[in-house]
Amino acid sequence: MSFLAPWALVVGALAAASLVLLHLVARQRPAAYLLPTARFIPDRRTLVSRVARRPRDLLLLLVRVLLILSAAAAFARPVLTPHRVPSARILLIDRSSSVADPSEAVARARAVLNDAVPTTVASFDTTVTVLGVGAAALDSLSRGPSPRMDAVGSISAALVAVRRIAAVEGARADSVALVLVSPVSDAELDSAVDSVRAQWPGVIALQRVGLRADAGRVWPLERELSRDDVLAPALDGVPVARGAHSVRVTRGAFSANDSVFARAGGAVVRWDAIGSRRPVAAAVAMGDDVVVASLARDSLAARGRTLARWADGSPAAVEESLGEGCLREIAIGVPIAGDLPLRPAFQSIVRGLFAPCAAARQIIGVAADSASIARLIGIGGMASGSALTKRAERPAPIAAWLFALAIAGALLELLVRARRREAEDA
Amino acid sequence: MTAGAPSYGELLDAVRGVRWPAMRRVAGATLGAHPSRLRGNSSEFSEFRPYRQGDDPRRVDWRLLARSDRAYVRLTTDLAMLRTAILVDASASMAFPLPDMEKWQRACEVAVALAAVAHAEGDPIGLAIAGATPVRIASRARRSVIAEMIRALAITTPAGSGELAPLMTSSRASRIAVVTDLLGDADAVLAASRIKVAAGGEVVVLHILSPDELDPPDVAQLAVDPEQPTLRRSLDGTSRAEYQRAFAAWRNDMRSAFRGAGVRYLHAESSESAARIVRRVVESSGVRDA
Repeated sequence: MSFLAPWALVVGALAAASLVLLHLVARQRPAAYLLPTARFIPDRRTLVSRVARRPRDLLLLLVRVLLILSAAAAFARPVLTPHRVPSARILLIDRSSSVADPSEAVARARAVLNDAVPTTVASFDTTVTVLGVGAAALDSLSRGPSPRMDAVGSISAALVAVRRIAAVEGARADSVALVLVSPVSDAELDSAVDSVRAQWPGVIALQRVGLRADAGRVWPLERELSRDDVLAPALDGVPVARGAHSVRVTRGAFSANDSVFARAGGAVVRWDAIGSRRPVAAAVAMGDDVVVASLARDSLAARGRTLARWADGSPAAVEESLGEGCLREIAIGVPIAGDLPLRPAFQSIVRGLFAPCAAARQIIGVAADSASIARLIGIGGMASGSALTKRAERPAPIAAWLFALAIAGALLELLVRARRREAEDA
Repeated sequence: MTAGAPSYGELLDAVRGVRWPAMRRVAGATLGAHPSRLRGNSSEFSEFRPYRQGDDPRRVDWRLLARSDRAYVRLTTDLAMLRTAILVDASASMAFPLPDMEKWQRACEVAVALAAVAHAEGDPIGLAIAGATPVRIASRARRSVIAEMIRALAITTPAGSGELAPLMTSSRASRIAVVTDLLGDADAVLAASRIKVAAGGEVVVLHILSPDELDPPDVAQLAVDPEQPTLRRSLDGTSRAEYQRAFAAWRNDMRSAFRGAGVRYLHAESSESAARIVRRVVESSGVRDA
């Protein structure tokens, strides 16, 4: 129980103490003595004042103190709130196909549970399942079925469910922490994530686990690049295999054959600017990978999905879906001389540009970029319980009962005082 | 003596033989124990007196006339009975101190003892109790009158503000003994006494008080008048001295007023024995003009 106006309790306590003092020093009427010759006594006041060691009229004092304290407690507006712990935690475990090793996610979650903070565990893929509280929930998760490999996780749906769980946890705890155990692939971050994330009034502790190995894989090349090709060092180790899901590199306009290849599920990459001899200082970014080097910039029609951008925001690589595959145009001119193909950032960009088409990526996914992850994590501390409950604290019904008790005390005081006066008069 | 009534045997034994003579010659003609104003009919010789014109010739002592050749009249002393009434104040102030009501008990004992003394001399005795409801027992000389008085007193509890003066005025007794604390209608009693004395009657006022009234106990810090419950006075050290002074002055005033009216006034305390009080009442009585 808490009080909205605790000063009323202080006032009530002071009033009760003053009342006790008044009962110690009160003017007291001595017991009546029948004296037939009382008329010969001079007419003066019949009350005498003296300080007693013990308060007189203990019953009357008790009733009066009860009256004052109950009224003060009622004015203090008591609020009945459940017992609150300092902090609670919601553990959200990714069980989608983006997780490379589900047991790793469970192990990371179990490590989080090492402290004594009460934790509600939930798992999510396309939907959210509340598993329970504490390590037992993790045990049930370990014993449960394996994750669906075709299930794409939805962090926005998970955050909506978390908000609902937090409404309960916030009433029990002063602060609520949210721990997300997930690889956070870009497929899991839909357009609703940012707005849903804004509803969580705190930081999200992210425990990143490994993304599925095939999430960042590169499809095999339709044919092996020549050893003189500048992209060869970046695609070193990429297998060569003919098939529906492979990447065809072309140096000119797309042909009908390329269209057929793409419709069958392949990726046709048109990279004309290989070996450009007029490079300028430029920067290109794709995801978290940024390369600043002497590059030749070619114009590119802004159509389809942008895969990479120049530093000024203009697209450096675009992808256009076609059938089950896609067509890609790369406008990054790579100089023949230089060590650019050997740089890891450039190699990562190249592998990204040779990755499977977007339709396939929605299933297997790729790691989200750092900016998206930073927005997801947010800033600040744990969410406060009161901000999660959003429930206005109202005076509990006990205030009405306290007022009733005060009124009953007042009536009882009248009765006791009348009885006392009758006893004095007798 | 009477079932349910207090025993007065010891007290009556203590006052047996005590005489309560009248203070003046009695006007009555019925034979009794008190000197009468009438002379000549009794056989008890008193003296000779020279014959005067108008004397009854039958009272001339012819033998003395023969011896001395002078006419003398033979005088005798006549005795008559004295109708007596006892008035007892039964107002609430007499029920003091509680719970044993010593003042009321002593008043009852004195009343019974005085009645017994008067009854022993053959006087008709009556009783009047001035309480919440007045009680009257007519003056009679028969033997059972004392028991009747005892019963009447036993069933009476002091209450209310009894008025003595109307009972005095309506009484036909020649001698009236009033046992009271004078805290009621003292002025009216004084006026009625004056009338009674002027008519040749005899009035004895026994002013009975409790020692706790003369010197209230320490517990009496808030004094309440039993006849006026709204009268409340605080009795502390200062007011106690003032109270005692005022009370003593009032008693002196009462004594002077009653004695000035020809009333035989006596002050008695309830701590005193009833037999002693009765002896004090009767000891200075007797015809002084005999």
